[in-house]
Amino acid sequence: MKRKHRNLYLYLTLACFVGIILIFIFDGFMGVYDSLEITSGEFPQTIEPDRWPEDEKYPYYSTVNVQQGGSIAFTYEVQNRTFSAYSAELEVTAWHEQQQLAVLLSQAVKVGSFNEGQMDWTLDTAEFVPAELPENQRYDLSVRITRGDIERNIVVYIRGSSYPPPDIVVPRPSN
Amino acid sequence: MKLEYVLYGFGILFCIAGVGYLAAEYVRYLSDIGKICSLLLTVGLFAFLGKYFEGLGW
Repeated sequence: MKRKHRNLYLYLTLACFVGIILIFIFDGFMGVYDSLEITSGEFPQTIEPDRWPEDEKYPYYSTVNVQQGGSIAFTYEVQNRTFSAYSAELEVTAWHEQQQLAVLLSQAVKVGSFNEGQMDWTLDTAEFVPAELPENQRYDLSVRITRGDIERNIVVYIRGSSYPPPDIVVPRPSN
Repeated sequence: MKLEYVLYGFGILFCIAGVGYLAAEYVRYLSDIGKICSLLLTVGLFAFLGKYFEGLGW
């Protein structure tokens, strides 16, 4: 009888341990998550939800490069893994040297329970880069995504039209 | 014999340190209610483990 009682404590200990693991899995899964897919030229990249905390730690960690005159396609996805519907105002703006240049997208986001919503927009660099920008000079832009209280920032590096410099022709050594 | 127990002690300490480190890293992603439930279960875990070892005569 005493041995049975003793084993009961062991089983309860194991039950608590399993409970903690289950909370970690379940709580980690639940919530509202967002990811961003950026396609610039031939280089698509996806910023997964677990990358955003790094961006908060090191501001403007996420960057994208584009040739002057090129455009970048953005696909922003909001995953709602909660038991209630999620709604918020989404605004995407372009910034340069702390000055807002344009509103790229402004709309309400409504995502049902355990569902996902997707928003697309395109950034055309020709609209923002000044025409008198010297060749080989870089121009930086920030794309700011504001969803409710949450803010995401992406830095866009725009390369000059003749960057990278032309290949240097090295003469062949004569025999 | 005593050396074995020292090694066991080191092993247990490293295990606890490893699990504690992983938990500390991951607990940042938990919601407040998840943190409280995890804390209560942790208290329960050590309490029941203590009772188990008490039953063993430790």
